[in-house]
Amino acid sequence: MSSTSQKHKDFVAEPMGEKSVMALAGIGEVLGKRLEEKGFDKAYVVLGQFLVLKKDEELFRDWLKDTCGANVKQQGDCYGCLKEWCDSFL
Amino acid sequence: MPLFEEDPAHLSKSRLKSDLVAHSVALPPAQSKKDVYVELHLKHIDQKNAADFSSDEEDQVRDVADKEEDAEDAEIPDPSGLTDDDLKAALLEHGFKAGPIVASTRAVYEKKLRKLLQPDGQDHLNGAEKGVVYSDSEEEDEEEEEGSQGAKEETVERSDQTQQESSQNGDFFYPQCFLPSSRLLDMPIVDKHSMKNQSLYYTPKASPYKWGMKLSQEPVKDTFKDMFPDTQATPTGIHATRRKPIKGAAGRPIQYVYPDTPASPTTQERRAVERRLVPIQIQILVFLIVVVLLYLIYACVEDNSFSPFVALLESLNQGSDGEEGLLLPAETQDTPALSGQE
Repeated sequence: MSSTSQKHKDFVAEPMGEKSVMALAGIGEVLGKRLEEKGFDKAYVVLGQFLVLKKDEELFRDWLKDTCGANVKQQGDCYGCLKEWCDSFL
Repeated sequence: MPLFEEDPAHLSKSRLKSDLVAHSVALPPAQSKKDVYVELHLKHIDQKNAADFSSDEEDQVRDVADKEEDAEDAEIPDPSGLTDDDLKAALLEHGFKAGPIVASTRAVYEKKLRKLLQPDGQDHLNGAEKGVVYSDSEEEDEEEEEGSQGAKEETVERSDQTQQESSQNGDFFYPQCFLPSSRLLDMPIVDKHSMKNQSLYYTPKASPYKWGMKLSQEPVKDTFKDMFPDTQATPTGIHATRRKPIKGAAGRPIQYVYPDTPASPTTQERRAVERRLVPIQIQILVFLIVVVLLYLIYACVEDNSFSPFVALLESLNQGSDGEEGLLLPAETQDTPALSGQE
Protein backbone atom coordinates (compact mmCIF):
# COMPACT_ATOMS: atom_id res chain seq x y z
CA MET A 1 0.00 0.00 0.00
CA SER A 2 1.42 3.44 -0.80
CA SER A 3 1.97 5.91 1.94
CA THR A 4 -0.48 8.79 2.25
CA SER A 5 0.47 12.37 1.64
CA GLN A 6 0.01 15.29 3.94
CA LYS A 7 -2.85 16.47 1.75
CA HIS A 8 -4.59 13.15 2.24
CA LYS A 9 -4.15 13.28 5.98
CA ASP A 10 -5.46 16.82 6.15
CA PHE A 11 -8.51 15.94 4.10
CA VAL A 12 -9.55 12.82 5.99
CA ALA A 13 -9.03 14.42 9.38
CA GLU A 14 -12.20 16.48 9.34
CA PRO A 15 -15.53 16.92 7.53
CA MET A 16 -14.91 18.43 4.14
CA GLY A 17 -17.49 21.18 4.46
CA GLU A 18 -17.03 23.67 1.67
CA LYS A 19 -13.47 22.72 0.78
CA SER A 20 -12.45 23.28 -2.79
CA VAL A 21 -11.96 20.36 -5.11
CA MET A 22 -8.24 21.08 -5.01
CA ALA A 23 -8.18 20.00 -1.39
CA LEU A 24 -8.60 16.41 -2.56
CA ALA A 25 -5.47 14.29 -2.60
CA GLY A 26 -4.21 13.81 -6.12
CA ILE A 27 -6.05 16.87 -7.45
CA GLY A 28 -3.81 19.84 -7.95
CA GLU A 29 -4.23 23.12 -9.75
CA VAL A 30 -4.49 21.81 -13.26
CA LEU A 31 -6.84 18.94 -12.56
CA GLY A 32 -8.83 21.05 -10.16
CA LYS A 33 -9.37 23.64 -12.83
CA ARG A 34 -10.60 21.03 -15.29
CA LEU A 35 -13.00 19.62 -12.75
CA GLU A 36 -14.34 23.03 -11.96
CA GLU A 37 -14.95 23.68 -15.63
CA LYS A 38 -17.02 20.52 -15.76
CA GLY A 39 -19.07 21.74 -12.83
CA PHE A 40 -17.35 19.87 -10.01
CA ASP A 41 -16.29 22.98 -8.16
CA LYS A 42 -16.42 21.67 -4.60
CA ALA A 43 -15.04 18.55 -3.02
CA TYR A 44 -18.51 17.43 -2.01
CA VAL A 45 -19.63 17.37 -5.63
CA VAL A 46 -16.85 14.94 -6.43
CA LEU A 47 -17.90 13.03 -3.34
CA GLY A 48 -21.39 12.91 -4.79
CA GLN A 49 -20.06 11.40 -7.98
CA PHE A 50 -18.02 8.92 -5.98
CA LEU A 51 -21.11 7.83 -4.07
CA VAL A 52 -23.32 7.62 -7.15
CA LEU A 53 -20.75 5.26 -8.63
CA LYS A 54 -21.31 3.22 -5.47
CA LYS A 55 -17.74 3.79 -4.32
CA ASP A 56 -16.52 1.42 -7.02
CA GLU A 57 -12.82 1.95 -7.52
CA GLU A 58 -12.64 1.07 -11.18
CA LEU A 59 -15.60 3.14 -12.22
CA PHE A 60 -14.46 6.13 -10.23
CA ARG A 61 -10.97 5.92 -11.67
CA ASP A 62 -12.39 5.75 -15.18
CA TRP A 63 -14.62 8.70 -14.53
CA LEU A 64 -11.77 10.73 -13.11
CA LYS A 65 -9.58 9.90 -16.06
CA ASP A 66 -12.29 10.87 -18.53
CA THR A 67 -13.30 14.03 -16.76
CA CYS A 68 -10.00 15.67 -15.91
CA GLY A 69 -7.29 13.44 -17.35
CA ALA A 70 -5.85 12.20 -14.08
CA ASN A 71 -3.10 9.62 -14.30
CA VAL A 72 -2.94 6.38 -12.37
CA LYS A 73 -1.31 7.80 -9.29
CA GLN A 74 -3.65 10.76 -9.11
CA GLN A 75 -6.66 8.53 -9.56
CA GLY A 76 -5.48 6.29 -6.79
CA ASP A 77 -4.77 9.15 -4.43
CA CYS A 78 -8.17 10.72 -4.98
CA TYR A 79 -9.99 7.42 -4.64
CA GLY A 80 -8.14 6.53 -1.46
CA CYS A 81 -8.74 9.94 0.00
CA LEU A 82 -12.48 9.84 -0.61
CA LYS A 83 -12.81 6.25 0.50
CA GLU A 84 -11.11 6.93 3.78
CA TRP A 85 -13.15 10.05 4.33
CA CYS A 86 -16.31 8.04 3.79
CA ASP A 87 -15.14 5.37 6.21
CA SER A 88 -14.73 7.99 8.90
CA PHE A 89 -17.61 10.36 8.33
CA LEU A 90 -20.25 8.82 6.17
CA MET B 1 -27.60 -36.00 -48.61
CA PRO B 2 -24.52 -37.65 -47.09
CA LEU B 3 -24.99 -39.36 -43.78
CA PHE B 4 -22.66 -38.16 -41.07
CA GLU B 5 -22.90 -41.11 -38.76
CA GLU B 6 -22.43 -43.73 -41.42
CA ASP B 7 -20.85 -46.85 -40.18
CA PRO B 8 -20.74 -49.47 -42.92
CA ALA B 9 -20.75 -52.33 -40.43
CA HIS B 10 -24.16 -51.25 -39.28
CA LEU B 11 -25.67 -51.22 -42.70
CA SER B 12 -27.30 -54.24 -44.23
CA LYS B 13 -25.65 -56.19 -47.01
CA SER B 14 -28.13 -55.06 -49.59
CA ARG B 15 -27.65 -51.50 -48.48
CA LEU B 16 -23.90 -51.86 -48.83
CA LYS B 17 -24.38 -53.31 -52.27
CA SER B 18 -26.54 -50.44 -53.40
CA ASP B 19 -24.07 -47.93 -51.97
CA LEU B 20 -21.22 -49.52 -53.82
CA VAL B 21 -23.21 -49.46 -57.00
CA ALA B 22 -24.10 -45.86 -56.44
CA HIS B 23 -20.44 -45.01 -56.08
CA SER B 24 -19.63 -47.09 -59.09
CA VAL B 25 -17.42 -49.45 -57.23
CA ALA B 26 -16.93 -52.89 -58.61
CA LEU B 27 -19.05 -55.35 -56.74
CA PRO B 28 -17.42 -58.43 -55.27
CA PRO B 29 -18.73 -61.87 -56.20
CA ALA B 30 -22.36 -62.40 -55.28
CA GLN B 31 -21.70 -64.91 -52.56
CA SER B 32 -19.17 -62.76 -50.68
CA LYS B 33 -19.58 -62.17 -47.01
CA LYS B 34 -20.68 -58.89 -45.61
CA ASP B 35 -17.19 -58.10 -44.40
CA VAL B 36 -15.98 -57.86 -47.94
CA TYR B 37 -18.68 -55.40 -48.80
CA VAL B 38 -17.84 -53.43 -45.67
CA GLU B 39 -14.20 -53.29 -46.59
CA LEU B 40 -14.95 -52.10 -50.04
CA HIS B 41 -17.39 -49.64 -48.70
CA LEU B 42 -14.87 -48.29 -46.27
CA LYS B 43 -12.15 -48.12 -48.85
CA HIS B 44 -13.98 -46.32 -51.57
CA ILE B 45 -16.94 -44.61 -50.20
CA ASP B 46 -15.48 -43.30 -46.99
CA GLN B 47 -12.63 -41.74 -48.89
CA LYS B 48 -15.09 -39.91 -50.96
CA ASN B 49 -17.10 -38.88 -47.96
CA ALA B 50 -13.95 -37.67 -46.27
CA ALA B 51 -13.51 -35.21 -49.06
CA ASP B 52 -17.11 -34.22 -48.75
CA PHE B 53 -16.84 -33.93 -44.98
CA SER B 54 -14.08 -31.36 -45.09
CA SER B 55 -16.07 -29.09 -47.27
CA ASP B 56 -19.09 -29.67 -45.07
CA GLU B 57 -17.07 -28.74 -42.01
CA GLU B 58 -16.05 -25.53 -43.59
CA ASP B 59 -19.63 -24.81 -44.42
CA GLN B 60 -20.57 -25.62 -40.86
CA VAL B 61 -17.95 -23.30 -39.46
CA ARG B 62 -18.98 -20.59 -41.82
CA ASP B 63 -22.62 -21.02 -40.98
CA VAL B 64 -21.86 -20.97 -37.31
CA ALA B 65 -19.68 -17.94 -37.69
CA ASP B 66 -22.33 -16.19 -39.72
CA LYS B 67 -24.96 -17.07 -37.20
CA GLU B 68 -22.72 -15.88 -34.42
CA GLU B 69 -22.02 -12.68 -36.20
CA ASP B 70 -25.69 -12.14 -36.81
CA ALA B 71 -26.38 -12.90 -33.19
CA GLU B 72 -23.64 -10.53 -32.13
CA ASP B 73 -24.89 -7.82 -34.38
CA ALA B 74 -28.23 -8.15 -32.71
CA GLU B 75 -26.52 -7.98 -29.30
CA ILE B 76 -24.17 -5.09 -29.92
CA PRO B 77 -26.37 -2.13 -30.32
CA ASP B 78 -24.54 1.11 -29.90
CA PRO B 79 -24.34 1.73 -26.14
CA SER B 80 -25.05 5.40 -26.56
CA GLY B 81 -28.29 4.59 -28.34
CA LEU B 82 -29.66 2.59 -25.45
CA THR B 83 -31.98 3.95 -22.85
CA ASP B 84 -30.83 4.01 -19.25
CA ASP B 85 -32.75 0.86 -18.42
CA ASP B 86 -31.49 -0.97 -21.48
CA LEU B 87 -27.95 0.04 -20.66
CA LYS B 88 -28.38 -1.27 -17.16
CA ALA B 89 -29.84 -4.53 -18.47
CA ALA B 90 -27.01 -4.92 -20.96
CA LEU B 91 -24.45 -4.46 -18.22
CA LEU B 92 -26.28 -7.02 -16.11
CA GLU B 93 -26.13 -9.47 -18.99
CA HIS B 94 -22.38 -9.25 -18.85
CA GLY B 95 -22.41 -9.89 -15.14
CA PHE B 96 -21.87 -6.36 -13.92
CA LYS B 97 -24.32 -4.81 -11.52
CA ALA B 98 -24.49 -1.12 -12.29
CA GLY B 99 -25.47 1.67 -9.96
CA PRO B 100 -27.80 4.51 -10.87
CA ILE B 101 -27.38 5.72 -14.41
CA VAL B 102 -27.67 9.46 -14.26
CA ALA B 103 -26.26 12.19 -16.45
CA SER B 104 -22.83 12.11 -14.89
CA THR B 105 -22.54 8.32 -14.74
CA ARG B 106 -23.93 7.49 -18.13
CA ALA B 107 -20.69 8.04 -19.97
CA VAL B 108 -18.83 5.80 -17.55
CA TYR B 109 -21.31 2.98 -17.91
CA GLU B 110 -21.37 3.23 -21.71
CA LYS B 111 -17.63 2.94 -21.74
CA LYS B 112 -17.85 -0.03 -19.41
CA LEU B 113 -20.36 -1.74 -21.67
CA ARG B 114 -18.14 -1.24 -24.67
CA LYS B 115 -15.25 -2.74 -22.79
CA LEU B 116 -17.38 -5.71 -21.83
CA LEU B 117 -18.63 -6.22 -25.37
CA GLN B 118 -15.25 -6.22 -27.05
CA PRO B 119 -13.69 -9.24 -25.38
CA ASP B 120 -16.94 -11.19 -25.75
CA GLY B 121 -16.81 -10.73 -29.51
CA GLN B 122 -13.26 -11.92 -29.63
CA ASP B 123 -14.16 -14.86 -27.44
CA HIS B 124 -16.89 -16.12 -29.77
CA LEU B 125 -14.65 -16.16 -32.79
CA ASN B 126 -11.76 -17.67 -30.91
CA GLY B 127 -14.02 -20.10 -29.10
CA ALA B 128 -14.59 -22.13 -32.25
CA GLU B 129 -10.88 -22.68 -32.66
CA LYS B 130 -10.26 -23.25 -29.02
CA GLY B 131 -13.10 -25.71 -28.92
CA VAL B 132 -11.07 -27.95 -31.17
CA VAL B 133 -7.92 -27.53 -29.15
CA TYR B 134 -9.44 -27.84 -25.71
CA SER B 135 -12.28 -30.11 -26.79
CA ASP B 136 -14.79 -27.69 -25.33
CA SER B 137 -17.55 -28.76 -27.61
CA GLU B 138 -20.26 -27.76 -25.18
CA GLU B 139 -19.50 -24.08 -25.72
CA GLU B 140 -19.89 -24.36 -29.44
CA ASP B 141 -23.15 -26.24 -29.23
CA GLU B 142 -24.58 -23.67 -26.87
CA GLU B 143 -23.52 -20.85 -29.10
CA GLU B 144 -25.07 -22.49 -32.11
CA GLU B 145 -28.32 -22.94 -30.29
CA GLU B 146 -28.39 -19.33 -29.24
CA GLY B 147 -27.60 -18.15 -32.69
CA SER B 148 -30.50 -20.06 -34.10
CA GLN B 149 -33.03 -19.16 -31.45
CA GLY B 150 -32.31 -15.46 -31.31
CA ALA B 151 -30.50 -13.41 -28.74
CA LYS B 152 -33.34 -11.84 -26.78
CA GLU B 153 -35.07 -15.03 -25.84
CA GLU B 154 -31.89 -16.33 -24.29
CA THR B 155 -30.89 -13.34 -22.20
CA VAL B 156 -31.20 -15.11 -18.87
CA GLU B 157 -29.36 -18.22 -19.93
CA ARG B 158 -26.87 -16.14 -21.79
CA SER B 159 -25.91 -14.17 -18.72
CA ASP B 160 -25.16 -17.39 -16.87
CA GLN B 161 -23.22 -18.77 -19.79
CA THR B 162 -21.25 -15.60 -20.31
CA GLN B 163 -20.35 -15.66 -16.66
CA GLN B 164 -19.22 -19.23 -17.06
CA GLU B 165 -17.47 -18.39 -20.28
CA SER B 166 -15.83 -15.37 -18.79
CA SER B 167 -14.72 -17.44 -15.84
CA GLN B 168 -13.45 -20.08 -18.20
CA ASN B 169 -11.94 -17.54 -20.49
CA GLY B 170 -10.42 -15.88 -17.48
CA ASP B 171 -8.29 -18.94 -17.17
CA PHE B 172 -7.45 -18.64 -20.83
CA PHE B 173 -6.51 -15.02 -20.39
CA TYR B 174 -3.81 -15.75 -17.89
CA PRO B 175 -1.48 -17.39 -20.39
CA GLN B 176 -2.20 -14.58 -22.80
CA CYS B 177 -1.01 -12.05 -20.29
CA PHE B 178 2.51 -13.32 -20.67
CA LEU B 179 2.53 -13.03 -24.42
CA PRO B 180 4.56 -10.30 -26.11
CA SER B 181 3.82 -6.78 -25.06
CA SER B 182 1.80 -5.92 -28.14
CA ARG B 183 -1.07 -7.88 -26.70
CA LEU B 184 -0.49 -6.78 -23.15
CA LEU B 185 -1.78 -3.31 -23.83
CA ASP B 186 -5.22 -4.46 -24.86
CA MET B 187 -5.86 -7.72 -23.13
CA PRO B 188 -5.07 -7.17 -19.46
CA ILE B 189 -7.08 -4.00 -19.16
CA VAL B 190 -10.03 -5.77 -20.64
CA ASP B 191 -9.71 -9.12 -18.99
CA LYS B 192 -9.25 -7.59 -15.61
CA HIS B 193 -12.59 -5.91 -16.13
CA SER B 194 -14.32 -9.05 -17.20
CA MET B 195 -12.82 -11.26 -14.55
CA LYS B 196 -12.72 -8.86 -11.72
CA ASN B 197 -16.39 -8.85 -10.79
CA GLN B 198 -16.52 -6.76 -7.68
CA SER B 199 -13.17 -7.46 -6.08
CA LEU B 200 -10.62 -4.68 -6.01
CA TYR B 201 -7.01 -5.17 -6.99
CA TYR B 202 -4.78 -2.16 -6.69
CA THR B 203 -1.24 -3.19 -7.41
CA PRO B 204 -1.73 -5.65 -10.27
CA LYS B 205 -3.97 -3.24 -12.10
CA ALA B 206 -1.55 -0.39 -11.76
CA SER B 207 0.81 -1.83 -14.34
CA PRO B 208 -1.62 -2.36 -17.23
CA TYR B 209 -3.25 0.95 -16.44
CA LYS B 210 0.12 2.62 -16.54
CA TRP B 211 1.01 1.05 -19.86
CA GLY B 212 -2.35 1.92 -21.28
CA MET B 213 -2.09 5.41 -19.87
CA LYS B 214 1.31 6.11 -21.34
CA LEU B 215 -0.05 5.96 -24.83
CA SER B 216 -2.80 8.44 -24.29
CA GLN B 217 -1.55 10.72 -21.56
CA GLU B 218 1.38 12.68 -22.95
CA PRO B 219 -0.02 16.14 -22.25
CA VAL B 220 -0.63 15.36 -18.59
CA LYS B 221 2.79 13.88 -17.85
CA ASP B 222 4.66 17.17 -17.60
CA THR B 223 2.16 18.79 -15.27
CA PHE B 224 2.23 15.75 -13.09
CA LYS B 225 5.96 16.00 -12.74
CA ASP B 226 5.62 19.67 -11.92
CA MET B 227 3.06 18.99 -9.26
CA PHE B 228 4.83 16.04 -7.72
CA PRO B 229 8.53 16.60 -8.17
CA ASP B 230 9.46 14.38 -5.27
CA THR B 231 7.87 11.17 -6.38
CA GLN B 232 10.25 8.64 -7.70
CA ALA B 233 9.35 7.11 -10.99
CA THR B 234 8.75 3.42 -10.67
CA PRO B 235 8.63 1.26 -13.77
CA THR B 236 5.50 -0.52 -12.72
CA GLY B 237 3.73 2.31 -10.97
CA ILE B 238 3.67 0.35 -7.74
CA HIS B 239 4.63 2.28 -4.64
CA ALA B 240 5.61 0.30 -1.58
CA THR B 241 6.54 1.35 1.91
CA ARG B 242 8.33 -0.59 4.55
CA ARG B 243 6.12 -2.51 6.86
CA LYS B 244 6.14 -1.63 10.52
CA PRO B 245 8.83 -3.78 12.13
CA ILE B 246 7.75 -6.50 14.47
CA LYS B 247 8.62 -5.49 18.02
CA GLY B 248 11.76 -7.16 19.26
CA ALA B 249 11.96 -9.67 16.46
CA ALA B 250 15.21 -10.42 14.66
CA GLY B 251 17.24 -7.73 16.38
CA ARG B 252 14.83 -4.90 15.70
CA PRO B 253 14.75 -2.35 18.48
CA ILE B 254 11.98 -2.64 21.01
CA GLN B 255 10.08 0.58 20.98
CA TYR B 256 7.97 -0.07 24.01
CA VAL B 257 8.97 -2.24 26.90
CA TYR B 258 6.32 -4.12 28.76
CA PRO B 259 6.87 -5.22 32.45
CA ASP B 260 8.21 -8.74 32.66
CA THR B 261 5.57 -10.21 34.89
CA PRO B 262 2.22 -8.70 35.54
CA ALA B 263 1.96 -7.90 39.27
CA SER B 264 -1.29 -8.34 41.10
CA PRO B 265 -2.35 -5.66 43.53
CA THR B 266 -1.62 -7.86 46.58
CA THR B 267 1.95 -8.51 45.51
CA GLN B 268 2.41 -4.83 44.87
CA GLU B 269 1.16 -4.02 48.33
CA ARG B 270 3.44 -6.61 49.89
CA ARG B 271 6.39 -5.18 48.02
CA ALA B 272 5.53 -1.70 49.22
CA VAL B 273 5.22 -2.93 52.80
CA GLU B 274 8.51 -4.80 52.59
CA ARG B 275 10.25 -1.72 51.34
CA ARG B 276 9.22 0.13 54.50
CA LEU B 277 9.84 -2.75 56.99
CA VAL B 278 13.37 -1.74 57.84
CA PRO B 279 12.45 1.85 58.50
CA ILE B 280 9.46 0.56 60.45
CA GLN B 281 11.70 -1.39 62.82
CA ILE B 282 13.84 1.65 63.41
CA GLN B 283 10.75 3.69 64.07
CA ILE B 284 9.50 1.18 66.64
CA LEU B 285 12.86 1.14 68.41
CA VAL B 286 13.03 4.88 68.60
CA PHE B 287 9.48 4.94 69.88
CA LEU B 288 10.29 2.50 72.64
CA ILE B 289 13.35 4.47 73.71
CA VAL B 290 11.33 7.64 73.83
CA VAL B 291 8.64 5.92 75.89
CA VAL B 292 11.20 4.62 78.36
CA LEU B 293 12.80 8.00 78.74
CA LEU B 294 9.51 9.73 79.28
CA TYR B 295 8.54 7.21 81.89
CA LEU B 296 11.80 7.71 83.75
CA ILE B 297 11.43 11.41 83.74
CA TYR B 298 7.85 11.17 84.90
CA ALA B 299 8.80 8.84 87.66
CA CYS B 300 11.64 11.06 88.80
CA VAL B 301 9.52 14.16 88.89
CA GLU B 302 6.58 12.45 90.55
CA ASP B 303 7.91 10.62 93.52
CA ASN B 304 11.29 9.96 95.01
CA SER B 305 10.06 7.23 97.40
CA PHE B 306 11.12 4.54 95.04
CA SER B 307 14.62 3.56 96.08
CA PRO B 308 15.87 2.78 92.60
CA PHE B 309 14.96 6.20 91.41
CA VAL B 310 16.64 7.76 94.47
CA ALA B 311 19.69 5.68 93.77
CA LEU B 312 19.49 6.84 90.22
CA LEU B 313 19.33 10.45 91.30
CA GLU B 314 22.23 10.00 93.70
CA SER B 315 24.21 8.31 91.00
CA LEU B 316 23.48 11.22 88.79
CA ASN B 317 24.52 13.64 91.52
CA GLN B 318 27.67 11.67 92.20
CA GLY B 319 28.64 12.33 88.65
CA SER B 320 29.32 15.95 89.48
CA ASP B 321 31.43 15.91 92.70
CA GLY B 322 32.83 19.31 92.31
CA GLU B 323 29.55 20.95 92.78
CA GLU B 324 28.17 18.33 95.09
CA GLY B 325 29.20 20.19 98.21
CA LEU B 326 26.72 22.92 97.41
CA LEU B 327 24.09 20.58 96.09
CA LEU B 328 24.20 17.96 98.84
CA PRO B 329 22.95 20.21 101.59
CA ALA B 330 20.39 21.42 99.05
CA GLU B 331 19.40 17.87 98.42
CA THR B 332 19.31 16.89 102.09
CA GLN B 333 17.10 19.84 102.54
CA ASP B 334 15.07 18.84 99.54
CA THR B 335 14.58 15.25 100.52
CA PRO B 336 13.23 16.03 104.00
CA ALA B 337 11.14 18.73 102.31
CA LEU B 338 9.78 16.17 99.88
CA SER B 339 9.19 13.61 102.58
CA GLY B 340 7.62 16.31 104.66
CA GLN B 341 5.15 17.14 101.94
CA GLU B 342 3.84 13.63 102.00
